[in-house]
Amino acid sequence: MKPPSEDHDLIRWLDGEMTDSEIAAFEARLKDEPLLSKEADELRALSKGIHEHLPAEMKVPHADFFNSQIQVRIAQMDLDESRRKGSGNQSLTVTLLTWLRHPWFATAGAVALAILGFVLMRPETQSSGHSLILSSYTPGLGVEASTYHNIEADATVLMLDGLEDVPADRKISGLSVHSSDNQSKVATTTLFDATGSPLLVISRDAVGHPLFLTNTPRG
Amino acid sequence: MKSLLPALFLLLPCPSLFAQEKATPQPLPAVKPATEGKVWGALIFATDDASQLIGSKEKAPAHLGLFNARLAKVFAFKHFEILGQHQQDIFREYESWVVPSRDMFLKIDSNGPADNGGIKLHLQVWREQQVLVKSDAILRSGSPLFIGGPKWKNGRLIFVLSLER
Repeated sequence: MKPPSEDHDLIRWLDGEMTDSEIAAFEARLKDEPLLSKEADELRALSKGIHEHLPAEMKVPHADFFNSQIQVRIAQMDLDESRRKGSGNQSLTVTLLTWLRHPWFATAGAVALAILGFVLMRPETQSSGHSLILSSYTPGLGVEASTYHNIEADATVLMLDGLEDVPADRKISGLSVHSSDNQSKVATTTLFDATGSPLLVISRDAVGHPLFLTNTPRG
Repeated sequence: MKSLLPALFLLLPCPSLFAQEKATPQPLPAVKPATEGKVWGALIFATDDASQLIGSKEKAPAHLGLFNARLAKVFAFKHFEILGQHQQDIFREYESWVVPSRDMFLKIDSNGPADNGGIKLHLQVWREQQVLVKSDAILRSGSPLFIGGPKWKNGRLIFVLSLER
């Protein structure tokens, strides 16, 4: 014998799903089984109370009820989204501050500054737009060469210090050379003035020192 | 036979004479040597004493702009006078001389075009028969090279080298 709560016939009888013959057979059982009969009475009373307190149908509050509910839901989703973004920005700020507080940040910053300084202050390279002195050598004893770029003059300076002074009474003669002719086969160069007249012929001696050949007396 | 000897001696130099005729220098080719560019070089006298100036009328090329003002930014003198100047092609294969004065001049060897413009040069600054400095440089137009030379008459000699555009 099944307990009353598990007796499907009891449920079907309460829900009115039985045929007449089944009802007759079940009600015969109720007479024979007092426990089943008691359970059936209790369930029937419970079912009656539910039906009495709940309406069979619930009316829709208003005609646009479903649309308004959808709009409320969309508004809620938008609000949730905006809160999530705000939370993201805040977390990014917190992350950045946390990163800045790291002890290694000072070292990394110093290295970055050093690299930046090297890039900005490195020796002149071919990428610069002005003339460059790449190397210099002064054979004379005590003569020193220093080089730098003067921004205001936009000129590259090669300064020679320690040179022997030119005697004050020495007359420095200047030339005004406008063109030249190179005779490579005889290793000479002839310099001409603005009128095309030869000023000077340059050749080399046995050790490579320049020789100036001219009819004009020096000085 | 004895009478023939002088004649033989006279004939001996003949082959060398013929050879000299064959070795007569041919006319130089009219083709101009290849160049890398053109430079302007000048010897400048810088002084504070105007009475020391020699009265030269030489002028700097226009592409150098306010030339004396540029010199004054580097050399602390009041007066700058161009003693001599020289426009010179830079030969690709041969040495070039820039001689604004026989007292101070420049020998240039081209090392070819530089990256990002200009010419790579090997420079030798000469003072008569003495090399003052040897230098490897990149010369770019608009950016002259100022070479501070020896002192003279309470002033200073300056060599300027500029690549013309």
